[in-house]
Amino acid sequence: MDALLADTAERIFRDHCDKALLDAAEAGGFPEALWDVFSETGLHEVGSAVSGTRLADLFGLLQVAGRHAAPLPLAETLLANRLCAVEGLATIATGGVAPWGRRADAVLHAETGRVVTDFDHAPGTNLAGEPRDRIVGGTETPAAVNVVDLPELLALSRVALMSGALSRALELAIGYAMERHQFGRPLSKFQAIQHNLAVLAGETAAAQRAADGAIDALETPRFPDQVAAAKSRVGEAAGVAAEIAHQVHGAMGFTHEHTLHHFTRRLWAWRDEHGAESVWQARLGRRIAAGGADAAWEFLASAER
Amino acid sequence: MTFQGLHFDPVRLPEAAERLRAEVRAFVAEHMPADYLPNSDFNEGHSPEFTRALGRRGWIGMTWPAQYGGGERTFFERYVVTEELLAAGAPVSAHWIADRQSGPLLLRYGTEAQCARYLPGIARGETYFSIGMSEPDSGSDLASVSTRAEAVQGGWVVNGTKVWTTDAHRNHHMVTLVRTDPGGDNRHAGLSQLVVDLHGEGVTVRPIRNIAGGEDFNEVVFEDCFVADEDVIGEPGNGWEQVTSELSYERSGPERFLSAFRVFVEFVRAAGPEPDESTAALIGRIASHIMTLRKMSMSVAGMLQDGKSPAVEAALVKQLGNDFEKLVPELLRLAPPVSVGVAGSALRRSFEQTLLHSPSFTVRGGTREILRGVIARGLGLR
Ligand SMILES: Cc1cc2nc3c(=O)[nH]c(=O)nc-3n(C[C@H](O)[C@H](O)[C@H](O)COP(=O)(O)OP(=O)(O)OC[C@H]3O[C@@H](n4cnc5c(N)ncnc54)[C@H](O)[C@@H]3O)c2cc1C
Repeated sequence: MDALLADTAERIFRDHCDKALLDAAEAGGFPEALWDVFSETGLHEVGSAVSGTRLADLFGLLQVAGRHAAPLPLAETLLANRLCAVEGLATIATGGVAPWGRRADAVLHAETGRVVTDFDHAPGTNLAGEPRDRIVGGTETPAAVNVVDLPELLALSRVALMSGALSRALELAIGYAMERHQFGRPLSKFQAIQHNLAVLAGETAAAQRAADGAIDALETPRFPDQVAAAKSRVGEAAGVAAEIAHQVHGAMGFTHEHTLHHFTRRLWAWRDEHGAESVWQARLGRRIAAGGADAAWEFLASAER
Repeated sequence: MTFQGLHFDPVRLPEAAERLRAEVRAFVAEHMPADYLPNSDFNEGHSPEFTRALGRRGWIGMTWPAQYGGGERTFFERYVVTEELLAAGAPVSAHWIADRQSGPLLLRYGTEAQCARYLPGIARGETYFSIGMSEPDSGSDLASVSTRAEAVQGGWVVNGTKVWTTDAHRNHHMVTLVRTDPGGDNRHAGLSQLVVDLHGEGVTVRPIRNIAGGEDFNEVVFEDCFVADEDVIGEPGNGWEQVTSELSYERSGPERFLSAFRVFVEFVRAAGPEPDESTAALIGRIASHIMTLRKMSMSVAGMLQDGKSPAVEAALVKQLGNDFEKLVPELLRLAPPVSVGVAGSALRRSFEQTLLHSPSFTVRGGTREILRGVIARGLGLR
């Protein structure tokens, strides 16, 4: 991703996404100030043709957002803005449910490509407390949007967000292990802790590489395979990583007071959104099976080309 | 040291490397020994015929200088050749260690005379090397080796025992880590590496049977074995630095996650073109790991190509890769193609062979626990 863009996003999220903001968002309050800064900087158009940025930048931005658990419907807003020009805050509904539907001005229905405004909603949340609202009725705009790749793009958005959240969970766990003393020394000096953190680092590195690889594959013929592999692999990493990060934090990590859950609960939520591992594994597996055993290696080896 | 993040730069293989793929496949189709059950474990399958043919083709010592019989090609080209050979399950163990490790070690630390003497034979697929690091009392704690070499007129006299030495009974030479000086307080001082003739005087090699019934690794006993000065690699006393520099090469290649690959291939065959949902998901899960590990491993190849020594990244690849290749038979065993598979079928044989060898995956080349320690150091924890 463009370094300047990444820096700008990193700075904005770091300045805004503190615990108070994350808790307020979970209580249902949209972070208006963050959204204003974000859109005034033009970041809300990253990935769309008008902005002079690439689609890959959109997902790079989501990796940064994931690192900070930014409580905005960024994946949906950025993808919707890329697909159709709407006024205000746009989001995307899958199966009729949209992140921050309650605050959105327009909703793109992922299955039909129809955009609605003036809709009603029934509030809901995912297990991380992120708003996931059921969209009811509304006025349809006349033209449908081309949504061919949307399931893959939405899955990739969760891959990008998870890879960011994973790197944060690793940092938190390392930081806590160095600070917290038991038996007269920092936890980080115990081999069992070191080994758990090494596994966590491995999962984080794998997730990062899988995410970067899938982002690199955008707009290439092997994109669907790369997304399938990434959603599966990163989803697996999320489960292992959240488990270890919590174990290292002891009871403190189980409190609502500590910030760890802002990342681990999102990891648990995001790995299920837009297709859990098994869904994408089966898709990938069916393609490999259809090609036959003797082409299986070529399938894998050619995925990076 | 504080945690700086993990670095795996994206890599795409250059065209020249990709072009080799089809050539390697054609080569394997032509030279695969008859009646050989393909096996992706680099330790299995010792075939001098296959290795010599590979040498004739220019695919051993690919990155080395032409003056020593090398191909002056990139790490990426070598990467493609090695992964294609493993994926096909070709018998590669005869040249594997010399090509991956001993040759590069000689190039980096050896004298011109040593390079001239050993490298051309390795590149032709005629000279094979073993690694003489482990001893009965020194495994993970490698710096504690007690095989000693005493200076005498014109060289050294070696006494001691190496163990778990892969292919010592069929290879020609062994790079042997010995103590040339007591070292005093610094355990890492006083170690040296010698090239030993495995068929020379004062060397006794005894194969050790493994749980799969194979005899691949050995005990190597030295009794007053004379090694000439000209066979010391690098400076006497510099052995620790040299031995640790080998490890980035040893730890990050495709052999660290492809050992179970042939079982996967046979599983896909038995599953047929339209598997049920859960069988398809198993195939996809394994594929997702391979695709990710391959990206990471290629990143490390890229760093090696740039002259870096990515020790922590290499350890991460090996840790993830070894755990994964152990998981493959465990994941597959309850799925119908394996669980009700025909005894004696390629799938069943491949499965059993991989399962029986799987305990070694997280032991050889540095145990899982030792690697985690390396990674933890990279994270700034120790
Ligand atoms: C198939 C195979 C081929 C091999 N080929 C070669 C070869 O060609 N040349 C060669 O030199 N060696 C070879 N080896 C040996 C290999 O390098 C050693 O087995 C390895 O380094 C571990 O040593 P060890 O077996 O003595 O185990 P130990 O070091 O005795 O370890 C036993 C267990 O204790 C754990 N452990 C040890 N120390 C610690 C610690 N500080 N903290 C936590 N856990 C610890 C280990 O991780 C392991 O699980 C081979 C091994 C195998 C299995």
